[in-house]
Amino acid sequence: MFLSEITAGAKIREEEMIVCVAVVGHQNNPLYIQSFTDADDALKLHHIVHCSLDVVDERVNNPKKSGPTLNETFLGLLYPTENYKVYGYLTNTKVKFILVTTDLDVRDGDVRNFFRRFHAAYVDAVSNPFHVPGKKITSRTFADRVSTIVQSFGLSSAV
Amino acid sequence: MVIVTTKKAHNFFLRRHLTTGHPNLEPLLCTSNRKIRSKKPLAVHLSYIRFNQPRASEKPLSTCIRASDQSEERGVMVDPANTPLGKMLLEEITPVVMVLCTPLVEESCLKNGLSFVQMLSPFCDFTNIDVPVQTASDQPYRLHKFKFRLFYASDIRQPNLEVAKERLKQVITKVGEDDFPEISSDLPQVNDLLSRHESEILPPWFQFFNKELVRTLSFSDHEAFDHPVACLLVVSSRDEEPINRFIDLFNTNKLPSLLNDGAMDPKILKHYLLVHDNQDGASAKATKLLTEMRSTFRPNDCQLLCINSSQDGQTRHKDTPWATFRSDALATEHLGHFLKLDDLNEIKNLMQELSSKHIIPYMEQKIRLLNQQVSSTRKGFRNQFKNLWWRKGKEDALDTTNGPVYTFSSIESQIRVLGDYAFMLRDYELAVSSYRLISTDYKLDKAWKRYAGVQEMIGLTYFMLDQSRKEAEYCMENAFNTYLKLGSAVQQNATRCGLWWIEMQKTRNQIKEAATVYFRICGSFTFGCDARASFFCYLLSKPPMLHKYGFHLVLSGDHYKKCDQIKHAIRTYRNAVSVYRGTTWNLIKDCVHFHIGQWYASLGMYDVAVTHMLEILASSHQSKTSQELFLRDFLHIVQKTGKMFEVLKLQLPVINISSLKAIFEDHRTYASPAAASIKEGVWRSLEEDMIPSLSAKSNWLDVQSKLIPRKYKESNICVAGEAIIVGIEFKNPLQIPISILKANSSNVKPQNDEYKTSTSTGFLYIILVLCTTSNGVCITTAGILIHLWFYRRLTFHWKGGETILVQLTVTPRVEGILTIVGVKWKLSSSVVGLHNFESNSVNKRIAKGRRKAKHSPSADLKFIVIKVHVSPTNLLFAVFINIFLLCNCILLVLFTMNNLKMKISNPRFLNAGNQSYLNVEFPACLEKKLNVEQSGGHANAKKMLQNVFHFPEDISVQEETSLSWPLWFHAAVPGHISLYITVYYEMENVSSIMKFHTLRMHYNLQVLPSLDVSFELSPCPSRLEEFLFRMDVVNKTSSECFQIHQLSSVGQRWDVSLLQPVDSILPSQSLFAGQALSCFFMLKVGTTIEELAPWIIHLYHRKSSTSEDSNPLFLQSDVRLGPPGNSEALFDVCSSPLADFHDYERLYQGMSCQGNVDFVFITQLRRGNIDSGVPHRPLLFSHHVCHCSFSPISWFLDGPQTIQHNFSASPCGVNLKMTINNSSDAASSVHIKTFDPPSSNSQSIDATASQSGLPLENQAGWFSIPAVNDTKVITTDALAKRITKSVSLESAPQFIWTGSSSTKLKLQPRATAEIPLQICVFAPGIYDLSNYALCWNLAPIEESQGEANKSSGECRGYPYYLTVLQST
Repeated sequence: MFLSEITAGAKIREEEMIVCVAVVGHQNNPLYIQSFTDADDALKLHHIVHCSLDVVDERVNNPKKSGPTLNETFLGLLYPTENYKVYGYLTNTKVKFILVTTDLDVRDGDVRNFFRRFHAAYVDAVSNPFHVPGKKITSRTFADRVSTIVQSFGLSSAV
Repeated sequence: MVIVTTKKAHNFFLRRHLTTGHPNLEPLLCTSNRKIRSKKPLAVHLSYIRFNQPRASEKPLSTCIRASDQSEERGVMVDPANTPLGKMLLEEITPVVMVLCTPLVEESCLKNGLSFVQMLSPFCDFTNIDVPVQTASDQPYRLHKFKFRLFYASDIRQPNLEVAKERLKQVITKVGEDDFPEISSDLPQVNDLLSRHESEILPPWFQFFNKELVRTLSFSDHEAFDHPVACLLVVSSRDEEPINRFIDLFNTNKLPSLLNDGAMDPKILKHYLLVHDNQDGASAKATKLLTEMRSTFRPNDCQLLCINSSQDGQTRHKDTPWATFRSDALATEHLGHFLKLDDLNEIKNLMQELSSKHIIPYMEQKIRLLNQQVSSTRKGFRNQFKNLWWRKGKEDALDTTNGPVYTFSSIESQIRVLGDYAFMLRDYELAVSSYRLISTDYKLDKAWKRYAGVQEMIGLTYFMLDQSRKEAEYCMENAFNTYLKLGSAVQQNATRCGLWWIEMQKTRNQIKEAATVYFRICGSFTFGCDARASFFCYLLSKPPMLHKYGFHLVLSGDHYKKCDQIKHAIRTYRNAVSVYRGTTWNLIKDCVHFHIGQWYASLGMYDVAVTHMLEILASSHQSKTSQELFLRDFLHIVQKTGKMFEVLKLQLPVINISSLKAIFEDHRTYASPAAASIKEGVWRSLEEDMIPSLSAKSNWLDVQSKLIPRKYKESNICVAGEAIIVGIEFKNPLQIPISILKANSSNVKPQNDEYKTSTSTGFLYIILVLCTTSNGVCITTAGILIHLWFYRRLTFHWKGGETILVQLTVTPRVEGILTIVGVKWKLSSSVVGLHNFESNSVNKRIAKGRRKAKHSPSADLKFIVIKVHVSPTNLLFAVFINIFLLCNCILLVLFTMNNLKMKISNPRFLNAGNQSYLNVEFPACLEKKLNVEQSGGHANAKKMLQNVFHFPEDISVQEETSLSWPLWFHAAVPGHISLYITVYYEMENVSSIMKFHTLRMHYNLQVLPSLDVSFELSPCPSRLEEFLFRMDVVNKTSSECFQIHQLSSVGQRWDVSLLQPVDSILPSQSLFAGQALSCFFMLKVGTTIEELAPWIIHLYHRKSSTSEDSNPLFLQSDVRLGPPGNSEALFDVCSSPLADFHDYERLYQGMSCQGNVDFVFITQLRRGNIDSGVPHRPLLFSHHVCHCSFSPISWFLDGPQTIQHNFSASPCGVNLKMTINNSSDAASSVHIKTFDPPSSNSQSIDATASQSGLPLENQAGWFSIPAVNDTKVITTDALAKRITKSVSLESAPQFIWTGSSSTKLKLQPRATAEIPLQICVFAPGIYDLSNYALCWNLAPIEESQGEANKSSGECRGYPYYLTVLQST
């Protein structure tokens, strides 16, 4: 509960590569945050995701001048913290995907692949006519699908 | 004065520019010209000029240009000396003068409330000393600003680390305390934060912290700038043997350790000062002593200072110069009250002389000396090489953490001193070169602390030079990292270095980098309460990084909490709130609020704590345990405050404001709450015809408009004494149950002021404010006089997530204006939630019928309370209804009312009766009375069809009396029945505002199936206008036993007769549960009463005498189904209630234009032990089956049954006669088609079957009835089929119809025609002559055009058997 645990860093199971994925709306409102740890560190992960939004904004406002990155959705490594690496992804509708992982040497391709699948899942979830845009994603199918993607991420990078 | 200086500077520049032609000064001049109007930038430029002007000329041109290029690159040209860091460096890195004084000197000074050092300190800072300085280089420059610091010798030592920490902590705590009252105000807004200046965002303790930190680190042995440059020996003139005292003072034992342990040169500049207290007498003695001193010491080094010239001690100083040095002094204490202006001037002169004539020259001299030494030993290639080689040799010997010990005489120390002195005299070039020289030495020696210190100084010097920024930063980082490596022993150094580094970065707008440095400082050390100030950097950076700002605020708050600095923790968290407010990051937000709340509570500030805790009460997204924790802590805190909290918009429980409903009555009264929940539209459609039309001009409100002020025009009207129901939904957003409290009812107490009951313990109650005036509706000037609070208390126990609809009633007692303000509820006996309805739109149920126009939402809850003399709610309405057929009454207890009207929604089920029935025994009143015209009951019939029942004019109900009126109830169909009844009445002697009232009643009934009755009708083949029919009755109840009573036909002169006595079918006369019964009857057109069979008592009874009555004539024929000996009267189905119900049944069962007959089957239910309030009252059941249809055309074939013919001669021709009757009211055309037998044999059978329209399997139970007369009655088609088959098998029928195969004729209404037919038979045999068909077509009757759906038909011929024998 107390924030002191944030800096202390909770113990995270080794085999879990991804500790948290998040969808953040274009007004920086959280749409979906799911942690994949056993520890009670939801608050910490919220903070981490929240902080990473600054970096996303920075990346978006000061894009690199080079041509190919103009339409690039993958933002790359946002920032490394003590225990985590945070990756970002920005859709055309300014929805951000954040990935927090404990794996300290992740291949860029894996992350890209993950985000692509995650994006597809998100698109399917919001295409649901009963989904209200800008509201939290409550679809259970989406959650299931995300956890499948997360698990397969661990597998593919382990191979 | 400022402007004068500027002008001077300007002129100076102009001159310079003209003489030197220096190009770089051009922009400077321009800026100083342009900026001359505003004060602040002016000051900046002034000091820049002041500082730079001597140097700009002396520097080589190239340097200037380079510097200018760099600054243009950065875009900002800031003089390093004017940055915060520069100012601090100029203040802190200054020469130190050690003071040694005798106690008597102190004593004299203390008269002024100051110590000696304190007295002199303000005069050690010179802004315009203007001393020429020549250091190592040949070119002299002038020093304008100068400062030295005075310290007692006893203070010149390294402060204890623990003490220092304690002191820092105290500083922080103190600032926290000082700052705290301010922060209990409103929460800061993010936008405010962004617009604030940096110094406001910085933690308030930060500046103090910085200074204290530097002070803590002073007098270290590895840095030379704190080493005393000079020594000031002070002796009082009162001292005995002052000369000896001077010598004693500089006793090595008392000197600071720095001088004793060889860290610095004990041979320093000494200055002798004799202090004379003028209060002790004339200064003659002192002058004498001075000459004595001058002879003893060097004459220039001795001086006399006379103080305390003022004898009375009344001197007042405006803005005392000591204020900053004695900040702890009380306001009443006048510092330096014995010091006259002359004294101050003397001190000033003394200090100026000391610095300009002694200290600065001494330092110059020392610099030159050291420089010489250094150049001789270290400069040049040979020396360098030697040095390197020498150091390499030493490498292994020393491995202590601090490296080798350097005494003052070592070359390393000397270089360091050289650098520091040069820095203090602002010869930064020399300083840098010295530092650089020594840093490699220290590095090689692994004297890391010294190395770091030197690196730090290189960075700072570069900064002051405003050169090579990268280098400067690299040095700072290097220093910082080196300190870090050294561990906790030098953590303060590291912190200081880090802070300086940060300042440097901030000056260069590299704020983000600064933030990371902050974070590194914090991450590495837990020094006291360290500087977790990184958050503000994120705020300052452009664009602001608010998210990180928030995060770091939370982190630092957490850290403060760890260090027990709760107030600081609260301060940071409060700032964090402003970041997270308005976002949907609820988890974080809740946590922040929760902790603030807890911390405030721990400080005892429960009020503020509660406001923060309130924010998290309705956190539905939190886990159950968190919710419990939040609620528990909240209630705990509230309990601690020990008082009631009234909270606007309390989140627990959540109010569904759209559910707010105000149900009130003006014209209307509801008999039951259930009636109130019926849709208004239902009632309106019911009342449409009854309520006097309220046209826009003439409604009662407009009549009253003179009386009612305009502003209340929009208000609704309610009646005093009648309750207004306010319904609202509350929802428990949490997953945990909220349980609380006990209910208490309270009275309404009018009082002259707002009034609250403090004793209330209820959980939820509503408050309404009622304002009244003394005289009724006339609210013009009197305004609000009385507030009344109405409480209604209810207690609830909510499960998690449950929604409860609360209905509160308010009963106004007096006339006036009533406004429903809001709802108030109490949570856990001490928190009162308050919700005002005003701003919200209200979904309201309004009474005004069609008159209702759009209201503004605020007006919706406003009522004008009017007075009605007797409240209509006193009416007691009750309708007793028996489940099956029959009557009961309305009971009225009310005041005088008249012009009663009533309307019933569904007259099929409920009918108003006649008053006369009240006194008659039931069911006897329905029995037939022979030859008695009953006019009264049926007089209503027509009106009933319009659904409005007018009570007789003469009925008016007096006060306190009751009116009973019979109602007939007929449960026509099983199922659920909703009955809506409205009663309209007008009141006498009532204020003209409200003329009428309506009473609305609503009943829901469930009707169970009793008997299932069906009839089957088929024409009699042998007679015209005679039918046989069968009645099937099934008892569908589970236990009831019905006694069959009678069957009546209602229709056109029909006459019903039993074919068979009932006894033979149903001896007991009762139908038990589940039993079925079939009876056969004959139906024929009755002619006269005389011809009736004996069991028919009554043939027909003509009901309505009005000729224009469109209803079919009410003719009745009854069959008693009871035991033959029973003399019980039959019921009159043509009189009031039964006939009315029958009309509705006809209506509902649909119309048919064919001839039809209606049957009413009446049974009685006799129950021995009846539980209802009306025992032994038999229930009457009438089953109406209408429109049993039959063909309007009937016919029979007449002819010989048996003929004998000699077929050998000729075929036999048989003449037949067909009689056709048209029983309908319309002319019809009939078409007779004949078929030839062989082809139509099988078809005719099918056709016969289809003609009757009955499925064959329904025929079980029919049996052949033996012919009673000569007519061969064949009633079943099955039988006919069998016979036809047998016939066709036995014989080979050979006959043909002769004549035309089809005959057409027209029949007038109710006419009969005879048609001759002929067949030709070729062989003897038995022939069935049914192979013909009758097609009839009714000419449409005009009035029944709409429903003439079945105006034509085709009938198959009846079986007719002709036996032809061979005559012999």
